[in-house]
Amino acid sequence: MPLMLPLTVSCGLFGLGLYAVLARRHAVMVLLGVELMLNAVNLNLVAFDTWWADTLHTGQSLTLFVIALAAAEIGLGLAIVLVMFRTVGSADVDGQARLPDVLPDGGDEL
Amino acid sequence: MRRRESAPAVAITALLALCAAVVAFPRLGERTGPYGEPAGIRTTLVDGGDLLGVSVTFFVDHLSAVMLLLAAGVGLLVQIYSVAYLAGDARYRAYTTIIQLFLVAMATVVVADNLWMLLVGWEVMGLCSYLLISHHWELGPARAGAVKAFLLTRIGDLGLLVAIFAIGQTFGTYEISEVLSAMASPDAPDGLTWIGLLLVLAVVGKSAQFPLHTWLADAMPGPTPISALIHAATMVAAGVFLVARLYPVLAASAVTMTVLAVIACVTMLLAAMFALTSHDLKRVLAWSTVSQLAYMFAALSVGGYDAGIDHLLSHGAFKALLFLAAGSVAHAVGSTALAELGGLRAVMPWTFATATIGFAALAGVVPTVGFFSKDAVIEAAWHGIGHDAPVAPVVAALVLVVGLVTAVVTVAYAFRTWWKVFFAADPAAAARLAEARSATGRSYEAPPLMVGPLVVLAAASILLSLAMPLHPLTGLVTTVLVAAAGWFTWQTMAAGRDPADLLGPARRAFDRELAMDVAYDRAGTAARGAGDVVVATDRDILGFYPRATAWVAVTLSKGFTKAQSGNAQTYVTVLAVGALLLAGLVVVR
Amino acid sequence: MTAVTVVFAALGLVTLVSAFLVVTSDQIVHAALWLVVTLGALAALYVLLAAELVAWVQVLIYVGSVVVLLLFALMLTRAPTGSGSATATANQPLAGVVAAAVTVALGAVMWAGFGGEVIDEDAIRIGTAERLGDAVFRTWVLPFEVLSVVLLAALVGAIVLTRRGDR
Repeated sequence: MPLMLPLTVSCGLFGLGLYAVLARRHAVMVLLGVELMLNAVNLNLVAFDTWWADTLHTGQSLTLFVIALAAAEIGLGLAIVLVMFRTVGSADVDGQARLPDVLPDGGDEL
Repeated sequence: MRRRESAPAVAITALLALCAAVVAFPRLGERTGPYGEPAGIRTTLVDGGDLLGVSVTFFVDHLSAVMLLLAAGVGLLVQIYSVAYLAGDARYRAYTTIIQLFLVAMATVVVADNLWMLLVGWEVMGLCSYLLISHHWELGPARAGAVKAFLLTRIGDLGLLVAIFAIGQTFGTYEISEVLSAMASPDAPDGLTWIGLLLVLAVVGKSAQFPLHTWLADAMPGPTPISALIHAATMVAAGVFLVARLYPVLAASAVTMTVLAVIACVTMLLAAMFALTSHDLKRVLAWSTVSQLAYMFAALSVGGYDAGIDHLLSHGAFKALLFLAAGSVAHAVGSTALAELGGLRAVMPWTFATATIGFAALAGVVPTVGFFSKDAVIEAAWHGIGHDAPVAPVVAALVLVVGLVTAVVTVAYAFRTWWKVFFAADPAAAARLAEARSATGRSYEAPPLMVGPLVVLAAASILLSLAMPLHPLTGLVTTVLVAAAGWFTWQTMAAGRDPADLLGPARRAFDRELAMDVAYDRAGTAARGAGDVVVATDRDILGFYPRATAWVAVTLSKGFTKAQSGNAQTYVTVLAVGALLLAGLVVVR
Repeated sequence: MTAVTVVFAALGLVTLVSAFLVVTSDQIVHAALWLVVTLGALAALYVLLAAELVAWVQVLIYVGSVVVLLLFALMLTRAPTGSGSATATANQPLAGVVAAAVTVALGAVMWAGFGGEVIDEDAIRIGTAERLGDAVFRTWVLPFEVLSVVLLAALVGAIVLTRRGDR
């Protein structure tokens, strides 16, 4: 099996995840994008581990750690979304109040 | 009450005078002339070093000693005189304090070695004269006169300030003694014309020379003892002193000395004419001061250094005497308008006697000090024609001629004023006087505290002659001239005519004192126009750059504001693009 | 081309398509369900890569708990979950370009580094629970313990964040 096969899938997953992070309005969707990116990384780790036939199984161990971290991240992320929804009334990442214009027109007072 | 308040003031002034005398007496009589290595005691109190150039250093020589004694003596007499003159005045305490400050400032000017110190004293004097002229600030003319004095002298002060900068730039020092040493050395710097002209501007403002001459006459609403102080010993004398102090610097340039001579000639004659046509006793005296100051400048400009200083000293004595006498008259009559005076000879014998000596000195009558010092000035001009004077012979001849003519006019106005004040030409006025005298029963003569200074100054006006040089030939010429002018004026007065009427149609113009104030107003308007141009330049041309800078900064900031949108997605996008670019860079390299 | 390669390619295609549906779905619940498919397919890919334990963990943790947690959160927020509840922002075109560029760049890097490499199916070591346990609890025991602390901190943090009441 060519190594490029899992690597290609991984790249596609990462790009899709990044798109979700950058383009989706709902905060939960952003979190989903982050999960996709983490899974792309995991796939890479496992593929390299297998390709290298690592006796220590470094890649797979790290994958387990990443999965655990991802679980922690999604737990915290969802908690934040919850609080945000309670406080702001929506879970839109671009729905924040715009920063006020602090600068005057300028130059005329001189 | 009054005595308790005035005693400390007089005591402090006496102490100041004593200090001045202690400093001055040892240096007196060491006449070395203006040139050569400066001969005087130099004392350093605080050395400012090269960094600041401002040191507290003193330089006392014969010139300083003369000026110190004159200022301290007149100041003390004025202070004593004021005890009686300003009895009952609400602001007596402030008045005496300012006089003391005035004297200290004058002392600072005359003993300062550092030019910045001199400038400080010079400016404080300007302030004090402003405060004292406006002593009766409830009177409009007093306020206006004070403001005018302050503003016109300020023009000259500006000249002095720039001149000090220029001196520091040229000589590398602000110490007068070092400047004089540099001038005495063979490698004296040249190109001193501009410094000289700036100094001339300074003294023209301070000593009320043409064209800034009007402030001295308009300062007359101030208390009369103050006029004596300003005119005789301090304020205006500082201008003459400055020229004498930095004489080598000024004399190095013929242009400067010519300008000074021409200004002196114009002022001398013009002020004498104003004095001749004036209707007020104090105004006559004020214009005579301007005229006599011009004599001093004329003497200095033709190389008569000692003549100038001698005339300063003698003028200080007799002008203080005349002003204090005028104060006595004002004190008794309540007015100084010539039309309301007359016949005071009988009722004020002491004042009459002393004022007669004063007027004689002003006119240059033989045994008085004015005769000798004025002769010295004339002699200096005569000497300057043929010999090595700082100015061309033509200019010296002009000084000589104008000096003689002015001497004649001086006799005329001195006699006219003296006659109008002390001899009643008008029977009605005499009757009014006698009536007032019998009605109130009080004496017209001034109290002893006022007569005392008068007598002292009268004695000085005669005794100082002993210290003056005698020039027999010019003395003879001027005596003849004085006698002729005096006889002619007496004839005119006896015929019931005012000598001023001899000017004919020009009299009217002189009554308005040639409308110099209108010229000042025009100059002010022109200056304001120039100021508008400067403001417009500042606003529209120079101001463009800061405004444009601010505009660019604000516009850029607005662009950056868009980046700070608060939208996390935008941030992450930029982050991703940045990472991509970095990766691309790595690949390309 | 072995059968494993063919199956891997097919499952990889399933993963990518379902992931595409996740990120483009305009209903948030649909996206979550498509995510289940993606993660499941990924678990299958792990199996094909002989990572047995990782595949089970993937199913247990991701499919079993993360997605459930996600759906839970959606319910808790009572946010609208119907059609149009998960639209894209105005950043979408730029995001598409950037994501495509990143994908291409990553692919190029991978191709440049490992273009011709082949996984030798005969030399494969199967990632059994025994071997991974051995590795984790011998070699990687310290990171494992640190990770447990991180998990505890995340747990406490989530509780503190969502706690109601006077703060």
